[in-house]
Amino acid sequence: MANDPLLARIDELSGAFTDGQIDRRTMLKRLALLGLSLPAMNLIVAACSTASATAAPGATSAVGGASAAGSVADLTSLIAAAKGEGDLYQTGIPPEWVNYQAIFDLWKSKYGITIDGTATEGEYSSGQELDSIKNTGKPDVGDVGIAFAVQAKTQGLSAAYKNSFWADIPDTAKDADGFWCCNYWGAQAFVVNTDAVKIPIKDWKDLLDPSLKNAVGIDGDPTKANDSFFAVWSAAIANGGGVDNIQPGIDFMNQLYQSGNLTAARASDTNITNGEVKVAIKWDYLGLAVRDKAAGAPNITVTIPASGSLASPYADIVAAKAPHPNAANLWQELIYSDEAQLLFLKGYAHPIRFDALQAAGKIPADLAAKLPSADLYKKVTLVTDITKITAAQTTLGTGWKIVVNS
Amino acid sequence: MRSLTARTDAGTPAAARSRGGRAALALLPLAVLITAFLLVPTVALVWGSFHDSKTGAFSLANYSYLGHPLDLIPFRNSLELSLASTLVGGLVGLLIGQAIVSSRQPLIQEIATTFSSVAANFAGVPLAYAFIATLGNSGLLTLFLRSNGIDLYDGGFKLYSVLGLTIVYAYWEIPLMVLVMLPPLQAMKRSWREAAEILGASRWQYLRSVAIPILMTPFISSLLLLYANAFGAYATAYALTTGFVSLVPIEISNLINGDVSYDPGQADALAVGLAVIMAVCIGGRAILERRSTRWLDR
Repeated sequence: MANDPLLARIDELSGAFTDGQIDRRTMLKRLALLGLSLPAMNLIVAACSTASATAAPGATSAVGGASAAGSVADLTSLIAAAKGEGDLYQTGIPPEWVNYQAIFDLWKSKYGITIDGTATEGEYSSGQELDSIKNTGKPDVGDVGIAFAVQAKTQGLSAAYKNSFWADIPDTAKDADGFWCCNYWGAQAFVVNTDAVKIPIKDWKDLLDPSLKNAVGIDGDPTKANDSFFAVWSAAIANGGGVDNIQPGIDFMNQLYQSGNLTAARASDTNITNGEVKVAIKWDYLGLAVRDKAAGAPNITVTIPASGSLASPYADIVAAKAPHPNAANLWQELIYSDEAQLLFLKGYAHPIRFDALQAAGKIPADLAAKLPSADLYKKVTLVTDITKITAAQTTLGTGWKIVVNS
Repeated sequence: MRSLTARTDAGTPAAARSRGGRAALALLPLAVLITAFLLVPTVALVWGSFHDSKTGAFSLANYSYLGHPLDLIPFRNSLELSLASTLVGGLVGLLIGQAIVSSRQPLIQEIATTFSSVAANFAGVPLAYAFIATLGNSGLLTLFLRSNGIDLYDGGFKLYSVLGLTIVYAYWEIPLMVLVMLPPLQAMKRSWREAAEILGASRWQYLRSVAIPILMTPFISSLLLLYANAFGAYATAYALTTGFVSLVPIEISNLINGDVSYDPGQADALAVGLAVIMAVCIGGRAILERRSTRWLDR
């Protein structure tokens, strides 16, 4: 077949079309030049489209720029297009947050494209980010809480783009249509002052030990603070509840409070280091950071409960009207790459591709040694369902009143 | 009685009118202030408390907390805390105030007054942390007592409780009491006591028949001020207990800030409850104030 020039030419065109190098119209035009009939052409194009859809689950870039197919050829053209745009405008991505500065540096050294917006709106909250996307039209990419990622899709503020690592990402952590994708998460962990606590704290039931009077703390009022809200919710897992049912978590906290083990002192960095709170239930990345900051005074270990805990992710969105759509898509490629994902991990945020990196043996031993064991993280459940979050908050609203007032 | 005197002083009715006009002009800034920061918010509060937050329709539902025992616990906690800290602050403050006056040392009086003004305003998060560092489970004083065989926390004490908060509130209630009681204590004339002694009164008789009747009204009115002050306090309690001890101001904040229980209408209804209690305190103080000035004015 290869020596048939017509078939070879059709093959070549199909390849180019599948890879996204030429669009449908160009393809049809060139096929027509070869003297093919319209039905024949349509057949070829349809076959290619199916091939393209299976080969590259993405390729739905709403902006019509380069499409993502995960092949090297595509990435090369995406990089070229992004360099042509020359700038990336971000909103709500603070350099000091989860090691983003190192990722910005990686971006600049790799592609030489400037990053804008850091000084003006780097510290924006998720709600402000969406406002900025809607009202200024400046931002290309944003880093938002999961609820806001969903909101951005329904309000038509985000564009679809599926990065090359799409298959590594759990279904619950990505929008089926590619309008958002979670890039990292934090899980509820036990942050234990081992100078003061002499018993091993491995699971929720260990917190009930009589030696822990006034020792266990959560990070704020759970009806107000997300951190402690997830602490209460996580406690449900070991007690017959879970993502669908927060009540056993409320009951467990009530038991802990009535037994005198749960203190009202907030599990803030200060109260952990000064020993007021000896076992804090809070986000792993915050615990690991305070462990490093305390540097042995006191000695602190961070562990994930053996029965499991809950994790809350952050998600990336590409703005629907991104002035630099290719740079925005390239940013997605970068932050999900091995290099950037490891940088998140270095900042103690748990990268979404952790399992893939772990399986490929790409996590450096010295970094792994600083983290709770990877096996414990297998019991962590990622919470991305907004309706379940709302339901849990409603149950907590009345349930918590009973805890503090009884 | 005073206004009567003022009217006779004013002379002709015309002069009285012009003087009244000028007085009204001078009061204008205060009137604006009261309208903007007291009357308008109060009206908005009462209006909001009778309307559903979501639909905006007239409703009594926001006041349903009055019938729920669980929702009245914040009021019980707030009342207990305010009463206890007022009694502690009031009695200790009175004794310290009397000691300062009796010392007759201007330097001590000055230092005590300055310290009191500072301490009476030291509140909020810094005060909460100061107390955690002192009386918390791992606080300095707690650890010191523990090493000497007295374990406060084993004995059931908790800084993060109504009792703990009472101690913390007393920290600013005592100096506040000193500040408001110093003027009436200083106004007590030496000659009254001397007169009583010459007439053969014992120390107790002097106290019972002269000092206590005169000081009773400023004392009670000061207590009411302390009470209202404790009832409205929020930042210190929240920083200390992260909501585990529910107080009315904390509940109100939950209803207007909370992600979970957002309901401004219900917050308004709670605030009206709070405002009624405050109004009774301040109104009571104003009435007593009028009575006591009759005695202490010269």
